[in-house]
Amino acid sequence: MSTVEVRVPDMGDAKDVKVVEVLVKKGDKVALEDPLITLESDKASMDVPSSAAGVIASLEVKTGDTVSAGALIAMVETDASVDTGAAKAAPAADVPVREAPASQGLDLVVLGAGPGGYTAAFRAADLGMKVTLIERWPMLGGVCLNVGCIPSKALLHAAKVIDDAADMSAAGITFGAPHIDRDKLRLWKNRVVTKLVGGLSVLAKQRKVDVVRGEAKFVGPNTLEVNGPDGLRRLEFKQCIIAAGSESVRLPGLPDDPRVIDSTGALELPVDCKRLLVIGGGIIGLEMACVYDALGAEVTVVELSDGLMPGTDRDLVRPLQKRIEKRYERILLKTKVAKLAASAAGLLATFDGPDAPEPQMFDRVLVAVGRSANGNAVNAAVAGVAVNARGIIPVDRQMRTNVPNIFAIGDVTGAPMLAHRATHQAKVAAEVAAGHKSSFDARCIPAVAYTDPEIAWVGLTETEAKERGIAFGKGVFPWLASGRSLALNRDEGFTKLLFDKESHRVIGAGIVGTNAGELIAEAGLAVEMGADAADVGLTVHAHPTLSETVAFAAEAFEGTLTDLYIPKR
Amino acid sequence: MANSIEVLVPDIGGFKDVSVIDVLVKDGQQIEKETPLITIETEKAAMDVPAPSAGKIAQVKLKSGDKVSEGSVILLLEADNAEPAEAAKEPEPKPVEPKVVEPKPPEPTAAAAANAVEPKPPAAAPAATPAAAPARPAAAGTPAAVARVDEAAFSKAYASPAIRKFARELGADLGRVKGTGVKGRITQEDVKAFVKVILTSPPSAAPAATALPKVPLVDFAAFGAVEVKPLSRIQKISGARLQASWINLPHVTQHEDADITDLEAARVELKAKAAQEGVRLTPLAFIVKACILSLKAFPRFNASLDASGENLVFKNYYNIGFAADTPNGLVVPVIADADQLGIFDIARILGEMSEKARAGKLKVKEMQGGSFTISSLGGIGGTAFTPIINAPEVAILGVSKSSQKPVYERGGFIPRLMLPLSLSYDHRVIDGAEAARFIVFLAKTLGDPKALV
Repeated sequence: MSTVEVRVPDMGDAKDVKVVEVLVKKGDKVALEDPLITLESDKASMDVPSSAAGVIASLEVKTGDTVSAGALIAMVETDASVDTGAAKAAPAADVPVREAPASQGLDLVVLGAGPGGYTAAFRAADLGMKVTLIERWPMLGGVCLNVGCIPSKALLHAAKVIDDAADMSAAGITFGAPHIDRDKLRLWKNRVVTKLVGGLSVLAKQRKVDVVRGEAKFVGPNTLEVNGPDGLRRLEFKQCIIAAGSESVRLPGLPDDPRVIDSTGALELPVDCKRLLVIGGGIIGLEMACVYDALGAEVTVVELSDGLMPGTDRDLVRPLQKRIEKRYERILLKTKVAKLAASAAGLLATFDGPDAPEPQMFDRVLVAVGRSANGNAVNAAVAGVAVNARGIIPVDRQMRTNVPNIFAIGDVTGAPMLAHRATHQAKVAAEVAAGHKSSFDARCIPAVAYTDPEIAWVGLTETEAKERGIAFGKGVFPWLASGRSLALNRDEGFTKLLFDKESHRVIGAGIVGTNAGELIAEAGLAVEMGADAADVGLTVHAHPTLSETVAFAAEAFEGTLTDLYIPKR
Repeated sequence: MANSIEVLVPDIGGFKDVSVIDVLVKDGQQIEKETPLITIETEKAAMDVPAPSAGKIAQVKLKSGDKVSEGSVILLLEADNAEPAEAAKEPEPKPVEPKVVEPKPPEPTAAAAANAVEPKPPAAAPAATPAAAPARPAAAGTPAAVARVDEAAFSKAYASPAIRKFARELGADLGRVKGTGVKGRITQEDVKAFVKVILTSPPSAAPAATALPKVPLVDFAAFGAVEVKPLSRIQKISGARLQASWINLPHVTQHEDADITDLEAARVELKAKAAQEGVRLTPLAFIVKACILSLKAFPRFNASLDASGENLVFKNYYNIGFAADTPNGLVVPVIADADQLGIFDIARILGEMSEKARAGKLKVKEMQGGSFTISSLGGIGGTAFTPIINAPEVAILGVSKSSQKPVYERGGFIPRLMLPLSLSYDHRVIDGAEAARFIVFLAKTLGDPKALV
């Protein structure tokens, strides 16, 4: 036997609510969920159920009292057998959720706990909102942390170590062939993920963000139905941020076979993958190709269009293509997989294209042909939210959908589907939901392919500038002249800056080479700040670094570069 | 010998950047004095600019679609006769109204704040002169454009993310903010100064209008065949002004019947005499006269609120506007200083202005400066209506169709010719009792022809 306190639960923002009726008296035996008192706010009346079973030892309120969340209602002497159950079954927030009309719903519900979702939830909580975060997977972090950016970068690092070690033979340092324990590698990668994801849970707790597990769908303009491990549950909300993300596009006509995998499957590092076919020559496909190549698999990449990484400036892609053409078994452009037949021996792919080889047998096929937005997966249309044919939810500059109290952020709002876009949109949505006048006003969003060599770009691309007829100036610095790059045993990279023809402000940049993804940040800042070529060139960069190449590119445009001889035009 | 002179756009009532909608002459053409040269379109009306003298056109200096202001060069004319001095002088600006033409570039006296505003929308700057606002309501409306952000220009503004965030919070259109930082970079102070200028401009109707809930959109074609035609130009202009008045002014309409039996008898009697003088003596002329007497007795009805909305501006002139129905839409010609005119003069001017209005030949000046407006639908029919005040005026008289009605008098019903009047007034300025007194006074005045002739 023990005595527990029963307190007034969280009632949203209702405070000093009147007790209109006391339903029990001292000595009464109450079961879990038995109503104890009736409260009446200006919006509704509701019963407060007992959060414990037992006998009322004392009553601390009487009719006419005013109470707020946390006020002591009664002391209940419990019998131990129901004690634990009671504590578990009565999360405070349940009470208003089940009983309250829409106007009393939760302040803010964030749908999806990826980089966008958790950022929105945390920012809103920091702004004083009561936030509920719904996630269908047991782990927070979404695709990015669990089966995307983070684990792939762990594996790409492993790949780089393998390749770098091998490359050092040119410098007289020869290692033996690496012994690769894929199970251990997988465990290590998972530990990286777990560390980050665990951190997220702590951050959520510290901010008192209520995390609800389950798959949510809209069932009304202010109502979500969450299907979770604890069963079906309805949540009423005042405001909602949809951060439902995206998923890999599945190609129709491929056999339903466990050896046909998407990026998530590829990150699981199947042990027996000796020959891999990557369908789709985009960033995700090429990153995974890089990992599998380093791990010793024969890799074939097949791309429908006439070049790898469609949309990216060709000059940036060329060094990558040159390198992987040598290393991979085949790179097939303007080619599609006409047929894929599964058998015990493997997956037989038939190709269709100008350079199509004979049908080839693979033991894994990675489908990486893009991602599609999850707007329809959450039944957003039921809440009146417009969802387009591709599952994308259009939003305005404040991240509002066509329904004013429902926001959408991240992949579900369309391209570019990048975590760093989502997190910035998330802050805007959270701030606007909290009543601030924020807007998403970024002028550029960087993109990075963590291939070897890395490719990164930000702002205007040369391809786009030409298409749109924008007059621009260009400064290029080839890394062949960078001491740092040569010392890293690499010489194929270059840094390219694009400038406004008149103002000489940086309007775009593309970098290919080691750590291009890190180097692109400076160019992004230059674009946002409106820095011009002289601003960048006159900023003293440390020597010898790869970052110098950004300043050198600016100097090349200015005509002040001395590390190269560029004849005057 | 021919003298080549520059023909300039004359005083067009303070309007600026007016569109040239038609060029009526071409190089080498021989023209008479008063030959229309170009047609320009102000916010209120289209008007022709006539040639100041006869001659041969040496070179047309503008084309259809150009924007012109007073003093813009229209063409070079080789004048025929030897009065070049006079010809050149005539089109020169001779402002009649108090000068509201602002200095071209901001003078050193203008605050740094004013400097931050690019002089793109030309009407914005003069709007800051409160005294000018009532005379030029169109100008006062323009700062409304400020509320909207030109995203394309915003995206090119030379401002860092933090400054852009600040501008977004304030709703400032960065594309219009001139930077005072290094190389023209926009600083936080520039954004503040920009916003301050906007805030100190006189309030206008449009920002409130943007906050209004929208009328639902209906796909009319879903219900049957439809045809889409644009509103006339005048309707587009008057529509915005009518809405501004309807939204901003608390309207109340007071109705009354005036017994005009005796007045009508007097009018019929005078009609022939008037006709001899070439004047068509309409009931409206008497109503104008009666209104002036009533306005003199109740001066608040001849007043306007100032820009602050806290003071009344009483006008010592009686410029009576009358709504004229034209094929292109509603225009309101103004009879200036109508209190100085006799009944025949009023009738004559009414006739002339109506004719001009229908022909689209009203000059801008002939539609400015009204202090009270009459909308007479009596010639058409109807028993009463609720006219919308021609803001910033504070009252408008609606006149419906007169008819014989039984009036109970000394123990019996007698037929009397009754004229229904509807007086809409701005309740911020005029109390209900005062309005009732005004309309009773007006009705009584209309009942007494001696006072009006």
